[in-house]
Amino acid sequence: MDQLNIRRRALLQGAGGLGLAGAFVGRAAAQGKEPLKLGITEPLTGSEAGYGADFVTSMRMATKDVNDAGGINGRPLELVVIDTQASPQLGINSANRLATIDKIPMFITAWSAVVKAQAPVANREKVLELSVGANAPDIAKLGDYVYTLFPLAEVDITALAKYTYDKLGKRRAAVAYINNETGIDAAKLYKAVFEAAGGQIVLFEAYDPKATEFSGMLLKMRAANPDMVHVHGLLIDTPLIIAQMRQLGMTQRVSSYSAGYNPKLLAQLGPAAEGFIVTSLAPGVDDNKNLPGFLERWNNEVKRPPNGLPYLQYNYDSVLTAAKLYKYVLDKNQEPTGDALRDALLAIREFDGPLTGKTIVDGHHVKKPVYLLTVENGKFVPMARIDS
Amino acid sequence: MTDPIVLLQILWTGAVTASSYVLLTVAFSLTQKVTGLWNFAQAGTMGVAFYAMYFLLNDMGQPLFIALPAAAILAGASGIATEVWGLDVLRARSSGNLTFFIFTLILAELIIYILTLLFGTEPQTLFPSILSPVHIIGGIAIGDWDLWAVGISVSALVALQLFLRVSNDGQFLIAVADNARLAELYGISARRAYCVTAAIAGVLITLAMYLFGARSGITPNSPMELILTAVIGTLLGGMGRVFMGGLASLILALIQSYSVLVIGSRWQNLLIYGFLFIAIVVFPRGIHLPRRRVRLPVAQPG
Repeated sequence: MDQLNIRRRALLQGAGGLGLAGAFVGRAAAQGKEPLKLGITEPLTGSEAGYGADFVTSMRMATKDVNDAGGINGRPLELVVIDTQASPQLGINSANRLATIDKIPMFITAWSAVVKAQAPVANREKVLELSVGANAPDIAKLGDYVYTLFPLAEVDITALAKYTYDKLGKRRAAVAYINNETGIDAAKLYKAVFEAAGGQIVLFEAYDPKATEFSGMLLKMRAANPDMVHVHGLLIDTPLIIAQMRQLGMTQRVSSYSAGYNPKLLAQLGPAAEGFIVTSLAPGVDDNKNLPGFLERWNNEVKRPPNGLPYLQYNYDSVLTAAKLYKYVLDKNQEPTGDALRDALLAIREFDGPLTGKTIVDGHHVKKPVYLLTVENGKFVPMARIDS
Repeated sequence: MTDPIVLLQILWTGAVTASSYVLLTVAFSLTQKVTGLWNFAQAGTMGVAFYAMYFLLNDMGQPLFIALPAAAILAGASGIATEVWGLDVLRARSSGNLTFFIFTLILAELIIYILTLLFGTEPQTLFPSILSPVHIIGGIAIGDWDLWAVGISVSALVALQLFLRVSNDGQFLIAVADNARLAELYGISARRAYCVTAAIAGVLITLAMYLFGARSGITPNSPMELILTAVIGTLLGGMGRVFMGGLASLILALIQSYSVLVIGSRWQNLLIYGFLFIAIVVFPRGIHLPRRRVRLPVAQPG
């Protein structure tokens, strides 16, 4: 047994050494050539920085992996990261800078309001804008150079609203949503799907993005007597709404979307979060064999749980997708322009990401299964998988 | 929605929400009364108070009974420092009102910027949990925290009233507020009065940020929005009428809370700006209730 262990250890060490040497050679070769640049516009400061900074960390990990494996046809991939504060105005500035000053033909971005604001710049400058994490349904209609690698709200919100009616047996839902690009269209979609299924929306109320006091709205909600509450907001307001609901004696089950999948929310709400339902568009550890390794690496490097794990999975894979687009274009001896990269995206169509599985780019839409999670004993646990 | 229970619940939650706004307004209004300045640097003091508490509670693991007084001392000290090394210098130079206004505004932004560098911009609450036990009394949900918040606010206001009426320093503040030069002729130090005011404002602001930060996420930019409420309360309450400013904030918060009965929640914050506009245009010196005329006895010819 000991001998077997020693042999296994020697084998692992040998394989590790070879891998390390290969990676070193590949990295050295990649570092000698002109880098291929990939623009990244994410909120690194501001109220959404908790997510944005983690997105960028996961993208840096993916970039390191690409370069350690030899880069793209021997050329290293380099990220050019610009802070948007999740603000449309800063988003426009960053897209302009990437397209006109840095001359980068492709950038990854997020937050629905930012994605929409940047779209005219991408279309005008003919650079490929890849949305990863934003989910407003009309992102699919932003023009010839704006594509998403992340399923839009039509995928997870449709699945959630149907599941709420069909499987949870809820018939009277109340919808509270943040009055901005994140909330408006997604809330309308939830309402349309739930009503089409036969349910009734007893309250449909928007709240100010800067609001911290929701008692008035919640009392209206309490009077409407829903049996389910859907909150479509951000990390700063969603826990406040749930907390104030519970303070007012409202015990209804609450659902949200993937932004609610955050450990901080559980800490803030404690037992009040029990039964809370969120969507996830990426597989969990039970459904993806690469995810435990990624989480271990994350914990070793960042030393805390990630914010919005499913988004991180998409962001990691999005860098690999971008690398694949660059490789496709270079293999055809083309200049990596926005047009060439867009054509590559539509030609390849199917991408098999290590952390999100197979993604099919169907024009301006993406098809993926939806995972529902709920809070049980203070933890998010899998609830259902819904294939689109 | 005209159910009396609902109306009473809105009254209660509105009053609880207002408790921190009232303290901020009273701090702002008192400073305006004594110094004659619109001290926007208090937004910076709010940030200092909150993040001092946050740091001591979460990063240093200190209990609240240490974090709260320490933050109050720091907030008061920052107010006094602003007074001594900033405003007093401008007074010595006979600077105009605009200079004072710009100085306090820039100082607030500077402090907020430093806090952003130190603490980042992710919303933070003072405590990991934002919930407290709730009791249903007569159909109205009343949380333990609600009682605590109202109790702290009322106690702070009573203490301030007593201080102003009973103590020498309190009387000196009123004397300086009425006429600083005349007060100095009587041996009252205006400079000391300004520093005492800054210290009191620091304590009130710290209490307000404790109440606010325990329930809501705060970013370094939040104080710039909070100070707007204090400005509106001070304007509506009438300049120089400290407690009326607090009352105006309370009424403003209640109007905001009740407004959801007739308008959508998304318009609630718009009311604040609407009131600010009306206050500046129509009531630049506050709303003054008509005073009852007192008939003086007419002396009869002998």
